[in-house]
Amino acid sequence: MSTLTEVPILRGTAERAERMARAFRLWITAGPGLGWIVVFLILPSAILLAIGFFSIGNYGNPRLPLTLEPFREVAGYSILGWSPANITTILRSLVQAVSAAGLTILLAYPVVFFITAQPIALRPLLLLFVVLPSWTNQVVRTYAWMELLGPGSGLSHLAQTIGFIPHHLGLLPGIFAMQVGLTYNYLPYMVVPLYAAAEKLDWTLVEAGRDLYASGTKLFWSAVFPQTIPGLLSGIILVAIPAFGDYVVPMLLGGGKSMMIGSLIAAQFLNTPNWPYGAALTIFMLIFTCGGLIVFRVMTKRLGGSEGTMM
Amino acid sequence: MSQHLAKPVRRALFAASMPVYLLLYAPLALIAVFSFAPAPGGVAASGFWYAELLHSPGVLAAFRRSLTLALGSSILGTVLGTLMGFGLSRFRTGAKGGFAAALPSLIIYTPIIMPSLVFGISELIFFNLVHRATGFLAAGLLTMGIAHVTFQAPYVALVVFARMAGLDPNLFEASHDLYADARQSFLHLTIPVIRPAIIGGFLLAFTLSIDDFTISYFTAGPGSTTLPIYIYSAVARKGIAPDINALATLMIATVIGIGLLQYVFTRHRERRPMPRVGD
Repeated sequence: MSTLTEVPILRGTAERAERMARAFRLWITAGPGLGWIVVFLILPSAILLAIGFFSIGNYGNPRLPLTLEPFREVAGYSILGWSPANITTILRSLVQAVSAAGLTILLAYPVVFFITAQPIALRPLLLLFVVLPSWTNQVVRTYAWMELLGPGSGLSHLAQTIGFIPHHLGLLPGIFAMQVGLTYNYLPYMVVPLYAAAEKLDWTLVEAGRDLYASGTKLFWSAVFPQTIPGLLSGIILVAIPAFGDYVVPMLLGGGKSMMIGSLIAAQFLNTPNWPYGAALTIFMLIFTCGGLIVFRVMTKRLGGSEGTMM
Repeated sequence: MSQHLAKPVRRALFAASMPVYLLLYAPLALIAVFSFAPAPGGVAASGFWYAELLHSPGVLAAFRRSLTLALGSSILGTVLGTLMGFGLSRFRTGAKGGFAAALPSLIIYTPIIMPSLVFGISELIFFNLVHRATGFLAAGLLTMGIAHVTFQAPYVALVVFARMAGLDPNLFEASHDLYADARQSFLHLTIPVIRPAIIGGFLLAFTLSIDDFTISYFTAGPGSTTLPIYIYSAVARKGIAPDINALATLMIATVIGIGLLQYVFTRHRERRPMPRVGD
């Protein structure tokens, strides 16, 4: 590097000076952006989490003393006694998020292997057609299903005829509509990581199995499926975590703010504010989110999957 | 690759995939069809609802605000993001794997991994408290812009960082040997070689801003309705409506058009399209 470092006596000071120069340059280049994120996101989210430990004051404002009261409210206790409503909402969100992941897996597998079976020049285009709808606004995507599932739509008539729903109702709003909306919104997030795994699949394993007269099903489960597990795990995380905390789908397709945890949280900051309670719910949601991420990391490590980190 | 699967398997895959593609586009296509619904009074003028949009001051104002917000936030987000990506790739200090070296990455990834609802509510509370204490930062386009920059800058940083990582470090050595100081080297070497990443990062920041709903919704004020918020409020109030169909169709057509154009122009680079994270 510098010629000074070639003189032994000066090496120590020169290195120190160079280290300080690097640190200074790091702070004048990366500093403003990092500072921006700390001031405008990390500090605000720390405040949000802290509010979960305050008492509930007038108009839902946080006030002292510190307490665990908001968490009792999350568990369902209030001045009216205990109610299972919150636990139902949280469990419902969990079931819907996991089901969304399951449904997207079922839809994604055939598409992914259909794409990998095409000539190499065609594949990016076919993948693009899966991803394109997700580039439109989520409100627009979700709104589209209001049209398809609403009372009076063709699908609702069909559902009435087969006795799936009563005659005067549509498929909207409700759990079914939310499930459809979540699955539709997050399908590309399953297809893309799964495709990344399928694209670099080692087909010699499949050929070896075929030489040993393995059946098609056996080939899939023993030679193909295990190789797609890293992509599958990424997909599950990318679908289940945002689906769990989704706000737009429960509001437009669920028909109520207590349908999922995301809309329940938002209601505590919008309609009739209750910040400490909303903050406690948020902490609860983040615990679930982090739990999912940790399970994911442990599983990918155990499976030897390499999670490429960019920075 | 195609010869790895037997013909009947490939046929089955085709048969199972086409309904999925149909599922992806049917709802969007249906909106477009319904946007040509006859006008009230039975006048079968196709395109009535589109003409209506052009005369709606609410829609036009929301459109202008969306553009202003996206443009303003993308410029600042790109400047901050580019400097972060550049600085972190050139001047990272501390032991490899140590906390000092990992801290900047942790900070940069926070906006990316944080659920957008938690992101939005954190901002809402923060701006609300600041406004109550100081009178500054009332909810509006400014607070929305600050929030947008916060999620744009990290994405730009990642794009620029990836470009920097692909450069030959000897380039910087060479400029040093030619007695270029840090400023000259940045302006005359770094900026030109990472220009594609800066432009790409800017476009990404712009689309992230236009696409965002949740974070915008929680940081918006009474007079800062953008297009997605306009649609959401209209739908939450009156359900499905033909004028909203027309507006949604225009937005879908624009995004799909841009997506296809982008594909045509970048085809030779063999890139994999990604789903958008912003909602």
